[in-house]
Amino acid sequence: MTTIPKIDVRAVGKWFGRGDQGQAAGIEVLRDVTFAVMPGEFVCLVGPSGCGKTTLLRMMSGLIPIDRGQILIDGTRPPVPGPHAGFVFQSYRLLPWRTVLDNVRFPLEIQGKDAAEQRQRAATYIRMVGLAGFEQRYPHELSGGMQQRVGLARALAMGPEILFMDEPFAALDAQTREFMQIALSRIWEANRVTVVFVTHSLDEALFLADRVILMRPRPGAVEEVLAVPLPRPRWTYDFHARSEFVALRAHLWERIRRMVADQPEFAWLLGGPGDDEAHGQLRPV
Amino acid sequence: MGTDRAQVLPAPRVRAAGHRRLGVTAWRLIALGMILGAWHVASIPAGALLLPSPLAVAPQFVALLRSGELLAATASSLTVLFSGYSLAILTGVSLGVLMGGIRPFGETLEIFVHAMNSTPRVAFIPLIVLWFGLGIKAKVVIVWLTAVFPILINTYVGVQNTDWGLIEAARSFGARQSQVFRHIMLPSALPYVVTGLRIGAALAVIGTVVAELYTALTGLGHLLALFGNTFQTAKYFVPVVTLLLIGTAISESLKALERRAARWKSTTVEF
Repeated sequence: MTTIPKIDVRAVGKWFGRGDQGQAAGIEVLRDVTFAVMPGEFVCLVGPSGCGKTTLLRMMSGLIPIDRGQILIDGTRPPVPGPHAGFVFQSYRLLPWRTVLDNVRFPLEIQGKDAAEQRQRAATYIRMVGLAGFEQRYPHELSGGMQQRVGLARALAMGPEILFMDEPFAALDAQTREFMQIALSRIWEANRVTVVFVTHSLDEALFLADRVILMRPRPGAVEEVLAVPLPRPRWTYDFHARSEFVALRAHLWERIRRMVADQPEFAWLLGGPGDDEAHGQLRPV
Repeated sequence: MGTDRAQVLPAPRVRAAGHRRLGVTAWRLIALGMILGAWHVASIPAGALLLPSPLAVAPQFVALLRSGELLAATASSLTVLFSGYSLAILTGVSLGVLMGGIRPFGETLEIFVHAMNSTPRVAFIPLIVLWFGLGIKAKVVIVWLTAVFPILINTYVGVQNTDWGLIEAARSFGARQSQVFRHIMLPSALPYVVTGLRIGAALAVIGTVVAELYTALTGLGHLLALFGNTFQTAKYFVPVVTLLLIGTAISESLKALERRAARWKSTTVEF
């Protein structure tokens, strides 16, 4: 018996610019993207800038239309924004005029839940992300890491089946970022929602994901799908010292290096034929 | 948890701001005393006709207050002022919200709004008199016309400047357009709206006096004309001071509202 994928991405294409239907007028952002995310799976999308990771995430959550192919949720319905899918953004996107409590309550308010339930659920998830006692603070009074934990609590409080996370920790300092990765893993181990997580960081992707989907740019497409066979919970041992991690990271890094080397603006950086001249020009003195 | 505490702004800052404001009040009173002193000194060589001393104005103030003349005039002016101003708030905010929320509508009307805003409103007074007569209707229309544009433009800009990311976030939670409007665009525009209200209020006071002078003479404008034309300079200062007080009262209460509306902004953490 086969399980129905939570998110089924089938031959998806996307253009930006005037002619959404024709290659001639617009820019092709994604071409023929196909993969599936299973229920309860943690999937990371990685790849160089311009490979359409964020665009794909927006399409999977129903925020922007799909030009070619289709995306199915639970094998039946097209993606529509709503309480079944929580979104966590890179720039937090908290409502600055609302307190922590009222921010976490916001999606529940949108759904028309009664006030008592809003409060109770918001309080539960604020506690879960370790922000009990900060309910009446305004976002600007909190550090970046704390703000993003509010963002996470807000997404989780809706009781989503899917969590879309768009480079959620990219704006944080290295130490806070590591802490947030552990916090997220812990919460995920307890909840087991389906997560699609976009990141530029290979370390982050490998630490968090069950599978890593590597994408290539121009137009964005799936390059390779890798399983991360390391045991969970991963914060209990020296994850980065494991040979499996090192091998996977080296493999991904090499693939990305090659993709980027094909792009003229990076070629001089990474070595390749004819780069001596470029070096000469850039070197001061 | 202990480390988290250290990451938030310290609470004592609020109290410090309170202390500082007490200091400002004291300084303001000193400045007022100095202004009145300078006024008095200047009045000695100028003479009572050109510049009566504040000591001469004060008894006139009391006399006009006692006779009921000042209260009646102030009441009449405030009626015009608040009718026109309320109308300006109502129309300015609604139209501004519509213009900001519905892009093509806003882009179409924008140029006309700015054209009207940069035309001296006095130019319309003869027309208004022609259409509405010399009574209260014409006066309310003049006040409305003077005050409405800054309110409208600020509201429009406020709604327009709503962070696009917040709108998308709300949509990702399943918010309908009406909910985006109510929960994102309006609160985000509020500080702008209140600033518009403050500018509009100052203009409404000016509009009121202009209206009272250019149409049938009533209210404080009437007192100005009466005492000005008959060279009763000490009495003339009474409606002037009253207008000063009205303007200050409105502007200060709106400033308080402005602080409340923007209390979530990092630069105004005071209460």
